[in-house]
Formats: sequence, structure tokens, C-alpha cells
Amino acid sequence: MSLVKIKTKINGKEVESEVEPRKLLVHFLREDLGLTGTHVGCDTSNCGACTVLLNGKAVKSCTMLAVQANGKEITTIEGLSKNGELHPIQKAFLEKHGLQCGYCTSGMIMTSFWLLRKNKNPTEEEIRKNLSGNLCRCTGYQSIVESIRYGAELIKEKEEQQEMVVR
Amino acid sequence: MSSLRWEDDDLAYDSSVFVRGKGHYVDDIIIPEMLHMTILRSPYARAKILSIKGGLSSRDLGAKMASVGEGAGPNQRGSIEPVFATGYVNYVGEPVAAVFADDRYRSNDLLDSIEVDYDPLKPVVTIDDALNAGPIHNGMTSNVLVESSKGTDFPDPKSPIVLEDTMENDRVSTNPIEPRGIVASYVNDILNVWVSTQSVHSIKDGLVESLKLSPDRVRVMQTDTGGAFGSKGGLYPEYVIASYASMKYGKPVKWIETRREHLSSTNPGRGVRGRVKIFAEQNGRITGVKGDVLVDAGAYGTGIASFSAGFIAMMMTGPYSIEKGYVTGRSVMTNKVPQGPYRGAGRPEASFFIERMLDLLADKLKMDPAEVRLLNMSDKPFTSPLGMKIEAARPFFEGAVRELRYREETKLTRGVGLSFFVLVPAVYPGESARIIVKDHRIKVWLGGNSHGQGHESFVRKLVNEELEVPESVVTLFRGDTGMTREGVGSWGSRSAIVGGAAIVAVCRKIRKDVEKKFGSYSPETLLSGYFDEFINEEQKMSLNSFGANLVTVEIGKLGNVRVKKCIAYYDVGRALNREMVIGQIQGGMAQGIGQTLHEGLYYDHDGQLITSSISDAGVPLAEDLPNFEVKIAEHRSALPHGAKGVGESPTIGVPPALIRAIERASGKRLSKTPVKPDDLIK
Amino acid sequence: MEEALELLTKYGEDAKVMAGGQSLIPLLKLRLASFPYVIDISGIAGLNRIEEKGDYLEIGALATVNEIEENYLIRERYRALHEAAGLIADPLVRNRGTIGGNISHGDPSNDLPAVMIALKAKLELSGRNGKRIIDADSFITDSFTTVLSEGEILTKILIPLSTRESGGCYIKQKKNAGDFSVAAVAVNFVLDSSERVKSAGIGLTSVGPRPIRAANAESFLEGKKVNDSVAREAATIIVSESEPSSDFYGTVVYKKKVLLSIAEEAINLSYERAMVR
Repeated sequence: MSLVKIKTKINGKEVESEVEPRKLLVHFLREDLGLTGTHVGCDTSNCGACTVLLNGKAVKSCTMLAVQANGKEITTIEGLSKNGELHPIQKAFLEKHGLQCGYCTSGMIMTSFWLLRKNKNPTEEEIRKNLSGNLCRCTGYQSIVESIRYGAELIKEKEEQQEMVVR
Repeated sequence: MSSLRWEDDDLAYDSSVFVRGKGHYVDDIIIPEMLHMTILRSPYARAKILSIKGGLSSRDLGAKMASVGEGAGPNQRGSIEPVFATGYVNYVGEPVAAVFADDRYRSNDLLDSIEVDYDPLKPVVTIDDALNAGPIHNGMTSNVLVESSKGTDFPDPKSPIVLEDTMENDRVSTNPIEPRGIVASYVNDILNVWVSTQSVHSIKDGLVESLKLSPDRVRVMQTDTGGAFGSKGGLYPEYVIASYASMKYGKPVKWIETRREHLSSTNPGRGVRGRVKIFAEQNGRITGVKGDVLVDAGAYGTGIASFSAGFIAMMMTGPYSIEKGYVTGRSVMTNKVPQGPYRGAGRPEASFFIERMLDLLADKLKMDPAEVRLLNMSDKPFTSPLGMKIEAARPFFEGAVRELRYREETKLTRGVGLSFFVLVPAVYPGESARIIVKDHRIKVWLGGNSHGQGHESFVRKLVNEELEVPESVVTLFRGDTGMTREGVGSWGSRSAIVGGAAIVAVCRKIRKDVEKKFGSYSPETLLSGYFDEFINEEQKMSLNSFGANLVTVEIGKLGNVRVKKCIAYYDVGRALNREMVIGQIQGGMAQGIGQTLHEGLYYDHDGQLITSSISDAGVPLAEDLPNFEVKIAEHRSALPHGAKGVGESPTIGVPPALIRAIERASGKRLSKTPVKPDDLIK
Repeated sequence: MEEALELLTKYGEDAKVMAGGQSLIPLLKLRLASFPYVIDISGIAGLNRIEEKGDYLEIGALATVNEIEENYLIRERYRALHEAAGLIADPLVRNRGTIGGNISHGDPSNDLPAVMIALKAKLELSGRNGKRIIDADSFITDSFTTVLSEGEILTKILIPLSTRESGGCYIKQKKNAGDFSVAAVAVNFVLDSSERVKSAGIGLTSVGPRPIRAANAESFLEGKKVNDSVAREAATIIVSESEPSSDFYGTVVYKKKVLLSIAEEAINLSYERAMVR
């Protein structure tokens, strides 16, 4: 199969690649770029283990071809921490035990990140509804919901601190 | 040929890496020259194979499966699963042939290069079909794989109250979010296997037996394991095929299950029917129980089917002191994927059956269900007529009624369900552990392997207590048969019990080593030296722990059930890590709700699987579930570290409590999981 | 656009159009369908506009479901569409899936075709020989079958402007949160000055081989004021117009019970909303 050239920006870095047109974005990320934090948990676009940000919006990278990412910006779980420091939502999942086996975690965190961007203080119901594209089989979701609420607090604290510094 | 380049620390359990996307799952393994394997699976539930052209198949590999893993028993003649379907296919999804290519897409493409001619036969799909139809396998006289009985038969007493019901739990797909997967690489006459598993030793024993290899030429290593819930405890055909292919082709071979394959070809749990009869006095005292358990074993005796019928029968009295009991159990063969363990593995079924009968008795006598339960319990330890040892039950459950606020809840709403149970963890035959002290670090391996429960946490704590070293110097590594020469596995609510006991024992052995070498023990002398100890700590003691659940529900006008409250009160023994214990219980309660309301694995009359996605299979979403309330009691066990079992408690306790709540809210007697909106819509 | 149409014409039946890919890619992935050529139209500029223009709310076929869900105008004035958009699959799928794809796929369990029927929308189809405009309810002819001819794509959705006298809703019933619907119903009413239904639009999802217009119920309701008994009778008519089959999601009897209940609720709610001016 002939290869197609694509240009993407992945976790802030410009990437030029050649891919088979049929290759899914998730396999491009995992196998061509070695970004194995994005997982595959199903084949029917249900589980959300493969969630990444596409131009800032959370999408399922198993339901997109790599060629469709041409000219677009992608953030994976590996791109969330800055200079080795965990993003507040990552810290929250760790502290509040928002994970057990860890397999759904990357997707959960990416969806949460997107949710907290558009809604800084979501209610429990809003959180649960927004997780309807992400399955977890270990936790029963309660600790995930708690992690997201705590993540919202941590983000707010961080923003307040940054404002203080600016002042 | 190169092999895997993971650093030492990459082999340790460390859940903090997951939030950064830095786990080490089996599909993350990339080795140069690696081949991707794709399996061609049977499209028929039952057919004669007329010919196979292309691919690797039973002509190349005529091996049979070994039975290993939780509750594995000797196979019955004629029911042993071949690695590749041989002569006949017996379930949709059975491996028929395999193809290999340098990438997963091209490997998939190659499926088209295989030609198989089948002559379809009429399949045996349901338990009733199995009892009525001729045997699905040549050489068997009926479809009954095993028949066993517990207790002694007795003539029906002339009791004033005799109640009988038939109850059923549909099959449930275990559905860990990470599917199964394996990488096999044959280097320098050693077969190296990386696998997502609950037990590296089961997989090793299975490969050794199936492929007739020498044990010292096989090394099985665990990768981070993204959930398992019973289904990753034993050997599967794909593991044998990948291992064989890596030896045959001289290249590493990777196989990663798709979700559809998981639904069709990974051993699901439940699929059990029970007919139970109880004899009782007017005052509510049960004097005897009789039962007949039927397990839908599926097409082969590979999973736990040969074990579960008798196991369920043994637990049929629950935590109650019932004097007379006789329960028969049969596992019957159908043209479906072999049944296997799923969180509870027989325990939830037994509890469902007896708890449903207790509620039926309460309704018959117009008594309070809690009262009926309590008056059938003893203040003293009790050995049931079916052979189960139960500790003094009544005091715990009297406390449970208070802790669960049962009296208050029944005043608030009609839809309240209560369940009591006793968890019998899989203690026998113990577990192994190894500790190496070197360079001021303590490296630990366990025979049974964590699949998300956080074994590293209790290991650090116990090593800290036993050897007085900071937790920070203790690292638990993932399962590796190269590091533990024998071991069992992580299932049956056993890890903290037997794994913990093995850690304590190996620590004490090391402590003695230090004392012997230096005259006295201090953590500093330990850490500055080099020590290496292995122990296989046998456990034969009978352990059990009690638990109770309360669930309240509302039923919408379209028959949809909303769980309002789901409360647990469990004796967990000494909680080695409270947060993780609570996490285990919450997750298990979600699975209990899933089984009761949503989950099932369904086949049509032709034995075709009609459940086609993880969503169809009913794995609950965040929106489907309530917030849970978890209360724990810590009555230490007799083990040195005081642990008891917990992992399976919620899947045992929640279904009977939830179905009772629905029964109360709807006014309909319910005997089957899952309860569907169709059953409840007015 | 030109390029897409050219490719479509060139490859004819060998080509399949993909917008967000949220229905198509799962099929390709499972190898349940395959096409020598998949033409990705998601990059076509200007095909995702949402604006009121003349007598219509115009929605470009590439507007994502999420864009529709979050659009202020739609939320305020086209409630059935807003509600349906928020109930499609999950938020991640809605971020990629498009209105055009949801309609063109022809899946009888997709939500937006029924909404188009209720809103009496028209669809603009573009091909090499120009554009044609058709009524939305004639678009899907059978399961996964539409009137699109070779080389033609759905480019725009035209919804008659909402007035102060109109009101509607979308009610969807699922077995579990993650499932396809058991049944769903879209209703839209325009009232006259005496609070009678001047125009009724009712579309049904998941209860037949294609989205269904409940035409008899519409004519029954037109000219009437809605009260409980009218709503109940209309719901009964709606059920008689449905053609559900027993499947994984339930039996015919169950589906009809569900439809009866949600149809009645949707009629009452839509009328209430139309009355609030």
C-alpha cells in the first residue's frame, strides 16, 4: 500500500511522517511514534482508552485515521506533564486513587482534562455524563469522579497562585 | 535476535507511572523482527472441518490444552480442548488457524488466504439442550462433564413450609479494559514469554505441559496487567500457538486480543442455574436444604467447569446453620466458549441461590428478611452438612443490620434489599515469595501476580513491619517464573491472605539469616548485606469472612432500575491498606450491579454470539452507577498479619441485595440475573 | 468540494464518503465493510456553518454534533435538535461526528434523521451536475440506504425558522447508558393563535428499518389543542405507525410500551414548550 505524507504537531512537536492511509491514529501514535500511553481497549469505539486531544478536543484516536490528523495538533497523555511536573489532574488521579489497573487511566485523564477546560467546576452529574465515552472496569468510577473534582480544585489553586505571581 | 529492553525499574509494579502513560503493558512491547499473529476463528458453533488450506493449524500443532489456573481440575476424557480445532469446531470463536506478518494490519489481511470447508452440525446451545441432546464430543456418553454431590441425601421431611425455586445467573464476560495478550520470544533455547496475567506460574505450567517442554527452558514474565477478574488466570490456546510459532519461525510473536475476540473466546463467568428446595418450620427456622446445580460448562473442560458445580454445591447453605443438606452439581457441555472464573467464581452463584430462598421464606411467613436470616445463624462455629466450616456468624450480622441502617432504610422506602454472605477465599495451597537484599534495596517477587489490586502496597507495609526497613527501599516486581521457581496465582480473594503470609514468612527467614550471620538483627546490617531467600508458604487453614450489603432502588416507569444506595459492611480482617480495600470493594460493587442489571453474553439458536461489543455486554458506565458507601470491620484472621479476603465480597453480596430491592419495589418475584427493563415495565 | 465531487465521480461505487468517520471507521476497522477508496470530506472549508438565513436555519453538513449541541441559537430555538445532539453516543464521539454523517449513514438508530423529520427539514444534496433539495423524510429509504446517487453528497441541512409559536423535544430511551436506543421520538409543534396545533412534526428512531414519520399522528394532532387524552390517543397512533422488531434491545411488546410512554411525554412536553412564548 502506498504511503501518504502527513504533518502533525504532537505534544508540541512538529512531526513529519509517512503512513499507510488505513492506519488508525492510535496505531500511528503507539507504533510509529512510540507513544504507548494511549491504549486500545475495544474495537467498537466504546471504551475511550485511546482518548487524545485533537486541536484541544477529546476524541477517540481509534476512530480516526492517522491521515486525518494531517495539519492538526494532538496531545497525548505523555504531553500533559510539563518539565517533569505532573499536571494537576494527573496528581489528582494519583492522590485520590482514581485508578487500579491503570489501563483506562490515560483516556480518563485526557477526557477529564478536556472537561475541566470547558467546565471549571463540574457537578458530579456533569462529570458522570461526560465520562460516558470512557469505561473503567476496576474502580466503579467513584474514585475517578473524586479525582476529577479534586483535579478541578488543584487547577483552580494553581491558577490563583499564578495570578498572585503575575500581580 | 534481540530481546526486550526494559530497565530494571520498568519491571516493578508502580501505579504512579499510569497517570503519565508510562505503564508497561504487553501491547507496548516492540521487539525487532516481531511477528503479529492473527487467529482465524470458527464461524460455526458446531461443525465438522472438511479441509483447511493455508495458515498454521492443527496439522502443524496437534497439542492439547493443559488445565491450569483457579480451580483447575483433571480434564474429562474427550472434553480436553485442542489448541487448534481438530476435526470439529465446537464454539463460535474457537481457534482454527493462525497467520503471521510483520504488522497487525498485514497479519489481518492474511486471514483471507486461509480456506476452510465446514460441514455445519446442529449445535447444543442451552443447558436444557445439553441435558436432552446427545453428547457434543465423540467418546462421551452424555453432555454431563462432571457430576458431584455434597452432603447426604435425606427423605423430604414433613415440614410445614416447603419452598422451591429455580434461579439463574446468565453468563457474564469479564471484560477487563485491557484485553488478553502475549509476546513469545525464543532465544538461546529459552522460550521467553511476556503476558498479561494473574499467574505466571499457571501459564508456564500450561505451556510446559501443552508443548511438552522442559520447565527450565520456559520463562514467563508478567507485564502490567490491565484488569483480569479471573479471566487471565490460566492458559489459552493463543498462548500455546504464539509460543510454538516463536520457536518454529525463530522470531518473536505477538498476539493481542481484540474486544470481539474477548467476547467470543475468553472464558466468561456465571452461566449457572440452581434448583433449590428448603424445608422450614413456621417460626422461620430452616431445617434442611436440597439443591441441584447446573453449570453451563461450554464446549470443553478447560476452564473451571469441572470444579464449579461441586464448589457451588458446597457453599449452598451460605452463612446459615442448616442441619440437613444435600446438593448435587452437574457441569454440562454446550457449543459455547468454555466457562471460566469471574470474580467470585461460584461464590456469587451459591450466595444468589440461598439468599433468594431466604427472601422467599420471609415473604411466605410475612417475616422480616433480616429476622429470618438472623434466626438461622449460630453463635458458635458450625460445619455445614455440605462440608463448609463457618465461624460464629450471628454476632457479626446483628452488627451488620445496625451498620447498614437496615431498620431506618426500610422505613424510608419500599425498595430495600439486604444480603448476608460468607466468603470462602481460595487459601489452599498457599503462595510463594522471594526476597533479594542487595545494594541497600529489597527486591520482592510473589508467586501470584497483581492485576490492578495494588499488591505492592501491602508488600511494602509487611516488609516494613517485619524487617523494620523504610517502605521506600522495598520494591515488588511483576511476576517472573525466572525469579520464583514455583507459585500459585492471584484469584479467589487470596492475595493479601496467602501472598501476605508468604511475605511475612520469607521476611522471618531473612531475619534469621541475618541473625545467624551477624549474631543479631538490625535493619542496617540487613541492608548492607546480600541475602536471597525463597519460600513456598503452604496454607491449609479454613478461613472465611462475613459480609452484608444493603441496596435501595427506584424503578422508572419504563422499567429502568436506578440504584440509589449501595452499602457494604464487610469483615476484611486487618486492612493492610484501607484506601485500596475500599477501592476494591467499590469496583466489585459496580460489577455486582452490572451482573444484576446490565451484563450478559448471549447466543442465538444457532449458537451465534449476538453480543457484539463491550457496550452490548453491559459493562456499566459512570452514569449507570451510584456513589457507594463502604464500611469495614477488621476482625483479624489467625494469620500472623491478620488479613482476610475481600476482592470477591462485593460480587457475592451485591446481586442478591439488589435483586431483592427490585423485587420489593416492583412486587414481582425475580429469580434471574440480569433483570431487564422488559421484566419490569408496566 | 470540487475535488471531492470529482473523486466521487471518478471512483463511483468504489468510493465511500467519510465526514467525522464515527460510524464508518468502526465498520472498516472490524472489516465489516471495505471500500477501495474512502474520500475524507472533513477538510472542506465552510461546510460547518450554522446560521439563520432567509426562511431557514442552515447547518453545514460538516458541523460536528458537539458544535450543534453547544450552539446557542439551536439550544434556545431548536430544542429537539439540541436535545438529540446531546444524547448521541458519548462526548468524545460527538466531538468528531457530524450532522451530515449522522443523517447520511442511514442507520435507523441514528438520532438526527428523526429530528429532521420532526422539524420538516430539507436537505441539500450536491453532485457534479449541481445541487438538488429534497424533503428530509424522503432521504432514507431503508436500513443504511439513502436517495444519494453516485457521486452525490449531503452538503447542507435547511430547517424552517423556528417561531415563537413553536416548541419541540427529543426523548430517547436506552436500556443502559451506553446502549443504542430502544426507541426515541422527536416532536415539533407550531401553534396557531388559538393555541391549536397548526403544524405537527413527529419522527421516530429505532422502531423500524428506517426513521419513521408518524404522519397519521401528525394529522390527528393538527387543529387540536393538546391535553392528556389527546396526547395519549396520539401516542397510540404513533405506536400503530411504528414497525419495531424484537432484537438484542428488547421485544416488540416492550419497545411498543416504551414508545407509547415516551411519545405521550414528548407530545405533552412539546406542547407545553410551544405554549411558553
